[in-house]
Amino acid sequence: MPLIELENITFSYSPAEPPVLREVSLSVEAGECLALLGDNGAGKSTLFRILNGLSFPQKGSYRFDGAEITAALLKKQARAKRFHQRIGYLFQNPDVMLFSATVWDEIAFGPRQLGLSEAETEGRVRDCMALFGLEPLAEKAPYHLSGGQKKQVALAAVLALNPEVLILDEPLAGLDRKTGARLRELLTGLKQAGKTLLIATHEPALLEGLADRRIELTVEA
Amino acid sequence: MHIPENYLSPVSCGVMGAAMVPVWVHAVRRVNKEVPKEKIPLLGAAAAFSFLGMMFNVPLPGGTTGHAVGGTLIALLFGPNAACLAVSVALLLQAVIFGDGGILAFGANCFNMAFVLPFVGYGIYRLLMGKSGRTSKARPYIAAALGSYVGLNAAALCAAVEFGIQPMLFKDAAGNAMYCPYDLSVAIPAMMVPHLLVAGVIEAAFTVAVYALVRKTAPDLTYERIAEAPGKDGLKRRIPIFALIAALIAAVPLGLLATGTAWGEWGADEIADVVVNGKALGYTPAGLEKGWSMNVLMPDYALEGMNEVVAYILSAVIGVALLIILFKLLSLALKGRRSDP
Amino acid sequence: MIPAWMTKSEASAPPKSGGAFAIRSLRSLGGVLARLKVQRGREGKRQLPALLRLLLLLVLVVLLSLARSRLLLLTLAALILGRLCLLPGELILGVLKSALAAAFLALLLFLPAMLLRPAGIPNNLTVVGKIFLSVTMVNIFNRTTQWNHVTGALRKLRVPGIFVFLLDLTLKYIVLLGTLLRDLLTAYLLRAVGKGRREYRSVGGLLGVTFLRSTELSRETWEAMCCRGFTDDYKGL
Repeated sequence: MPLIELENITFSYSPAEPPVLREVSLSVEAGECLALLGDNGAGKSTLFRILNGLSFPQKGSYRFDGAEITAALLKKQARAKRFHQRIGYLFQNPDVMLFSATVWDEIAFGPRQLGLSEAETEGRVRDCMALFGLEPLAEKAPYHLSGGQKKQVALAAVLALNPEVLILDEPLAGLDRKTGARLRELLTGLKQAGKTLLIATHEPALLEGLADRRIELTVEA
Repeated sequence: MHIPENYLSPVSCGVMGAAMVPVWVHAVRRVNKEVPKEKIPLLGAAAAFSFLGMMFNVPLPGGTTGHAVGGTLIALLFGPNAACLAVSVALLLQAVIFGDGGILAFGANCFNMAFVLPFVGYGIYRLLMGKSGRTSKARPYIAAALGSYVGLNAAALCAAVEFGIQPMLFKDAAGNAMYCPYDLSVAIPAMMVPHLLVAGVIEAAFTVAVYALVRKTAPDLTYERIAEAPGKDGLKRRIPIFALIAALIAAVPLGLLATGTAWGEWGADEIADVVVNGKALGYTPAGLEKGWSMNVLMPDYALEGMNEVVAYILSAVIGVALLIILFKLLSLALKGRRSDP
Repeated sequence: MIPAWMTKSEASAPPKSGGAFAIRSLRSLGGVLARLKVQRGREGKRQLPALLRLLLLLVLVVLLSLARSRLLLLTLAALILGRLCLLPGELILGVLKSALAAAFLALLLFLPAMLLRPAGIPNNLTVVGKIFLSVTMVNIFNRTTQWNHVTGALRKLRVPGIFVFLLDLTLKYIVLLGTLLRDLLTAYLLRAVGKGRREYRSVGGLLGVTFLRSTELSRETWEAMCCRGFTDDYKGL
């Protein structure tokens, strides 16, 4: 059974506008890595919103791990929280993800939410910071970091929740070449660890050898 | 806390609006001096922030939520004068575009939330912070918490008085209230009990939470730092204190007006009504109705043969003085703790 | 390089509640942003100019508040409800929802007074009626008038340009900062997958970041104004 299954979904932000997504079907197996390509405005971010349960298609269905994800289902707090824990989402703009006073607190937010002990939380935060070499920034305020650093902190904070699926919206944008290579290595490691990856990008070359499949969304003429 | 249309008489609305004019003029002058150049973008940002803060739902124990006004917070971040203007703009937009709070009641809402709240809140904050530059870690937060708590309750008290004087001043020929039907004995406890117990606490927690993040992340952005920049005169620091005193004393004429008519016009049956009313509603402790007469609290208040007006002013001055003493003592206690180690 | 805990899947049993503040804030914020967006292009073509509409609103609000005679009140009610019934259904629904909510709240508040002093009931009901009518009126106005036309009207009323500029700027910032806050809350909800501990710290973070962005925005606006040749002359705005 595929982990993620979209069936003929159609979505528009308002009835007056033409749909952003029309009759899109997609199925992703657990452990797969999928590259999502497409021009600006082709609906990549919208698709991601639907996969995260932030928007709901007007037509068609979305099943995650066999359960249909609907607005009514996500009204149930416990179900919604469990669902969000299993899917990690890196927003295109990392600014909207960072609200803590220090980088340490930002990454610790997830483990604390999971109810882990302070010792476990500390271990996780250290591990996640080590993945990006963020240790020197631990006590800095995320707000003051550079764009690339913010992106790394945001991703570290998502990873600290240990989700099964990672949805990354333009993860490479704003990163220098060295950090980009490091991220690529990290993503390979995560794939080997059994995570399911969905990555939207404009630079397909960087996913060479990592992505199992490529999907391209096109803007209707 | 937003007073809607028609709860207050148009006359009261006019008076409150007129009272705001000198406040606005003063605030504009001060802001002109403090941030001469980028004042308009700054005020716009402050007003937008204030608007969003008032809309934000704050968590309450038990999974419910409530709203904060955030007047003291805005004063801590942008300065009390900028806060006065910014909150006024936010209130104006709420009234006209979103229909939140009355258009006629705009002056009254500004008086409570854009004038009394930020100035009292900020004044108390400054009093508790004292003059010294170095302070303990917790002190700014305690000062911010107390400032916002008292500020909100002062604003609520003003709103309660505005409601409460309506039935005393505006009655038809048969003696029935034409606007808000509750007089001070009901309006004050009805407003104050929830504000003292719940809303004030929310306001304080909200203020401290946001202020803490800003102080940790970008300490130079708080107004205090800007105000303490070299070259500023000493008088300026005391202005919030003057404003606090002015705000407290400003409540006196309202009180005079209210008590004067109230005692004259109350029939015995009406008083009975009020007492029953309090019990029926369940929010008025039985002692409070009597307490409002002040005869219980301060038996010598109406000294034999002395003009009641003079007595009232005197007791108001005493009350204000007592408050100031209280805060000075509090600030002293806090200072002592710092130098103890 | 990948830590061991990351190779196992997480077993979490989230609580049933928590995070209500974020969900509710998101909802009210969404309402405001939608309302400001809808502001564009809702205006009918054969309407009175915004200036007249604004003046009319102010006059009617004062008149309604002062009105004592039954006849005048009935006239105003007829006028306001007559205008309301000409609007499209979805607008009427929106207007009535807020007006009825306000009237119901007032009724609830006045109920004890009415029970205890039956002689005052006619007056109390009049106030409730006035509240209903004035909320209806303001809602009709703001749901059918574009904001930029209102500020234009204010300029014509000789309101100082600096003040109108401030109002316009504030609205722009409400949309910009409101969008930021909405996205922050969304991202927060995606990660707030467990116990609602330290919720106040999150509130401080969400609004604190919004404040920091607001000061940045104001500085950037100021710098952009300077770059375009602005020289402290707010009167010319």
